[in-house]
Amino acid sequence: MKRPEVLLIDDEPIVGQRLKTGLEKMGCAVEVSKDPKEAMAWVNEKRFDIVITDIMMPEINGIQLLEAVKEINPDARVIIITGFATSELARESMEKGAYDMIAKPFKPADLRAMVAQAANEMGFTDVTDGQERHDA
Amino acid sequence: MTPDENAIDKKDGVIDNEKELLERPVFSFRLQIILGFFTFFILSVVVTVGALIAINQIEKKFSNVQTWERFLFNIEQARRWEKNYFLYGRNLEEALSTTAEAKGLLDENLKKFEGSEIPVYKETIKKNLVLYQSNLLKLRQLERENPERMPPVDDIESNLRLYGARIVNEAENLAASEHEMVIRWLQLVQKVPAYFLVFLFFLMIYMTRFLSRRFMKPLKYLVNETRRIAKGDFTPVQPLRKFRDEFTTVEVAINRMLRELESRQNSLIESHKLRAVGILTAGVAHELNNPINNIMLTAHSLLDEYDDLTKPEHIDMIKDIIGETDRSRSIVHNLLDFTRENKSSFEPIDLGSLVEETTKLAKNQARVRGVPIKLDMQSGLPPVMGDRQKLKQVFLNLVLNALDAVDKNGLIQVRVRYHKLNFLSAQVEDNGSGIDPDVLPHIFDPFFTTKPVGKGTGLGLSVSRGLINKHGGNIEVESRPGKYTVFTVILPYYPASPTG
Repeated sequence: MKRPEVLLIDDEPIVGQRLKTGLEKMGCAVEVSKDPKEAMAWVNEKRFDIVITDIMMPEINGIQLLEAVKEINPDARVIIITGFATSELARESMEKGAYDMIAKPFKPADLRAMVAQAANEMGFTDVTDGQERHDA
Repeated sequence: MTPDENAIDKKDGVIDNEKELLERPVFSFRLQIILGFFTFFILSVVVTVGALIAINQIEKKFSNVQTWERFLFNIEQARRWEKNYFLYGRNLEEALSTTAEAKGLLDENLKKFEGSEIPVYKETIKKNLVLYQSNLLKLRQLERENPERMPPVDDIESNLRLYGARIVNEAENLAASEHEMVIRWLQLVQKVPAYFLVFLFFLMIYMTRFLSRRFMKPLKYLVNETRRIAKGDFTPVQPLRKFRDEFTTVEVAINRMLRELESRQNSLIESHKLRAVGILTAGVAHELNNPINNIMLTAHSLLDEYDDLTKPEHIDMIKDIIGETDRSRSIVHNLLDFTRENKSSFEPIDLGSLVEETTKLAKNQARVRGVPIKLDMQSGLPPVMGDRQKLKQVFLNLVLNALDAVDKNGLIQVRVRYHKLNFLSAQVEDNGSGIDPDVLPHIFDPFFTTKPVGKGTGLGLSVSRGLINKHGGNIEVESRPGKYTVFTVILPYYPASPTG
């Protein structure tokens, strides 16, 4: 069973802490970073399938990461987490090929559904968002 | 105290000031000029009256001299007739009649002479005259008694000579002293106008200097006051003069103008603050999203994975929720603190932490633009005296301006440190587009803006400078186009400078 490589970047550490377990349970291999510089380094040396990134971070923002990811793996799906859905940056990220975006504050289940859909589209059929498991 | 009460209080203060100015005793320039001219008039009247009196005196003395000369003429005539009598035995009647004439003249004028300031031996003259006359009469009687042959009259002759000489002598003396008096008065009449002219000349110089000084002093005072007002100090004008004059009207008008200016300035500051609040609110909405998102994610995780987690993990997550709630609260608090309307009050403020708090307000704007803000605070600085909110407004404005000036590779550096003498400096430096040298001298002018219409009011820096000036400080700017711009806020620290 092939697992999608997922990278989650948000400078708010709680975001990574809370989402990591859930994503792993879905059947993803998850790397978490709260430092966009560190994440950028990882992106340049490893091929990720799905990258979830906050758009507004110090020094390196989500769009720069998006560009870097797309350069190495054009097929990679990049999900953008934004402060406001309507911001310039969010629109710019969609134009630059982001897969989808989700506005803070969001429910973990919504993000998981988004990741599951992306993974399924990429051929990782084993990945489920596990929604039914918790809704019971 | 609510702002309304504050406003009323201030208004009352200005009205008190106006009342105080108008209640001062009147000593107007009109009155002063009138007094000056009146003094001249009085002096002229005195001198003219003096001259008239002198002329009158001269006239009197002159007539005295004339009288004495007529008297003398009569006496001398009488003595000639007397001599003729002794030589040729005739003219005794003529001698008697001229003597009588002289006596009549003397009797007529003796009263007049009594008021004269020359000590006259009028009685002696009169006595001598009477003696002279009686000797002449005695002579006539002898002649009538002895028509044929005159007895020897040597004693009468010598008596007549003696008294005649005495009368002539005294009358001459009197005429001479009266003449002398006439000359003395004439000299006085000549000298006094000359002295008066010299005196008048100096009096006029003095009056001119006195009046112009009295006129220039309040004028200079007002010029200095306008300079102070131009710097943004709207304290009412309160001249030290004890009197009310034409300038008081001007001063009252200036104070009314100041009241208007101050209320306009305040509404400018307010509108400018509202603009900053608008920018901030967008940033704060975003800033709030982070802790709310963290709370949401944590709460959901707790719900979803409750059974899989250990008790310490539960506690950690609940603590996270509490922590993030606190964070939300402080973000809201910060914004409210900035917008809250409260009485302007000066208090000792740690400039470093105030600047740091302000920078936090703009943090989200900075993050949206991906511009880092680097803080460099010197530690152990003395506090400044200031109005916390107003200072925050100034620094927020500077930081937001800096953010507007930089592009993607922008960097904003904020420094607080010792300046020269008793001052601290807070610098906001950006590596943005810089300010054109042509524009640089105008950036503190009200309504001057380089931003497109609707983007900036052109009031930020003007209002900021006004606020900093009120703190006894100043804002300076240095810029190189394409390289950097540094705004330096200089504030006096406390308690070294009482002006703070």
